[in-house]
Amino acid sequence: MTALFEVHGLTRVYTTGRRSVVALEDVSLTVEPGQRLGIVGESGSGKSTLVRLMAGLDRPTSGTVHFGGRPVSGVPERQLGFLRASVQFVFQDPRSSLNPRMRVGDVVAEPLRSPLVRRELGALDQRRRVAEVLDAVGLPADAASRYPHEFSGGQRQRIAIARALAPSPQVLIADEAVSALDVSVRAHVLNLLMALVDDLGLTLLFVSHDLAVVRHVCPDAVVLQGGRIVERGPTQRLFTAPEHPYTARLVAAIPTFRARS
Amino acid sequence: MTSLLQVRDLSIAFGRKDPVVRGLDLDLAAGQRLGIIGESGSGKTVTALAIMGLLPDNARVTGSIRLDGTELVGLSDRALSRVRGDRMSMIFQEPMTALDPTMTAGRQVAEAFRLHRDRDAGRARTAVLAMLRAVGFDDAERVADSYPHQLSGGQRQRVVTAMALVNRPGLVICDEPTTALDVTVQATVLRVLDEVLEAVGASCLFISHDLAVVSQLCSDVVVMLNGRVVERGTAEQVFTDPRHPYAAGLVATARLDLLEPGTRLPTVADHVRVP
Repeated sequence: MTALFEVHGLTRVYTTGRRSVVALEDVSLTVEPGQRLGIVGESGSGKSTLVRLMAGLDRPTSGTVHFGGRPVSGVPERQLGFLRASVQFVFQDPRSSLNPRMRVGDVVAEPLRSPLVRRELGALDQRRRVAEVLDAVGLPADAASRYPHEFSGGQRQRIAIARALAPSPQVLIADEAVSALDVSVRAHVLNLLMALVDDLGLTLLFVSHDLAVVRHVCPDAVVLQGGRIVERGPTQRLFTAPEHPYTARLVAAIPTFRARS
Repeated sequence: MTSLLQVRDLSIAFGRKDPVVRGLDLDLAAGQRLGIIGESGSGKTVTALAIMGLLPDNARVTGSIRLDGTELVGLSDRALSRVRGDRMSMIFQEPMTALDPTMTAGRQVAEAFRLHRDRDAGRARTAVLAMLRAVGFDDAERVADSYPHQLSGGQRQRVVTAMALVNRPGLVICDEPTTALDVTVQATVLRVLDEVLEAVGASCLFISHDLAVVSQLCSDVVVMLNGRVVERGTAEQVFTDPRHPYAAGLVATARLDLLEPGTRLPTVADHVRVP
């Protein structure tokens, strides 16, 4: 089986004026088709930088990213059509990731209007595709003609998922996609995500600070600290027998239920 | 057991809209810690702000809120501001909403102290440093002389905790105090909060969407839904044997630790139909 993503020696240094910050340092990993990989870390660990580089939204200072055997880093945008259609994001806060002035149907069709993606997908009935993906995320067909603010937080995250699904991607990158949601809404959105990943055979990169959620969703995970991968392996093992002291600290810090009197 | 805080038939509405809190009763004994859980929009924060007297002018508050015998509903702003910061205080989710970016941390804690306790600057400094040590700063002098932007998010929240507790109030209200923090930082802040509440002997109303965090800090819990309390009991009872179907659903969705990874998560809708 060939890897879907191959990341090698990836480093990203941000420089402003005289100061430079190493956001990511010498990260290597592979992602197999159909894998659900958790990317775990606290703020500033480099997890968002990593997935942005993998999706070709930013350029590495050094190192390489290959997707399906084709280079991503250092390739001009107009040649990244294969990636734009295949890799889609769901972000943390649907309030800021959905344009409030666009009707839901237009929001969801947005990735389909990119000329790069159109070239990749060929002729497509946009309205039909929008109806299909709204149905897939459990929203009524008439949602297309309404505006994002008419929906609850959980429904807005469904809209964001529908938009990500529109170009029939291979990979879904969920960047703290359930972190802003109430626990009960989180349950619905996670159930939906897991079902879609199963049904559509998607590959999932699940970025989260919440190790308990990652354990539930992803069989495997990498743990990032200060821009480096400090540990990787089956999520269950990271929980029960962490090898790196930082992983152990992260696991120990998860609030657990305890009876107090 | 006499109540430190007694809330009776509290209703809160904004403008001409329907009430967001209806007929709420709460009792909190001295030293007791009560968790308020519920989803966004259930009325948790509005209730906390009503107790603190921090609601905007268009809020209509009816019912009674008594703190140690003093009726707070209808109290003048002046009288309320004497109670606030002295007999009760509040810790918010985002520490920068409570901190002035142009003032050192030490001066801000000192102001809280001098306004209500002792105007003497030297004695205030002593109290401030002692309080900063109590919230876990070994280098209290350095922290006292730092501006908020020189501190991390967790350190800021500990400074706010010091501000909230320096006057040894009877009641401390915490509204999602660790929600914006990283999980390892959250663990530290919760431990510190637990210690200083205990040391001061303060009661606490602790609002959080994180049920596990509530279970760590609180002895008792109420569950709110659409502005009403639907369940109340000891933390142990509510988290292990909830009676109201909505509370049962909420607890079930939070117990990821009890599930086989990859399986469908229970939802509130499995337990009750919520309008």
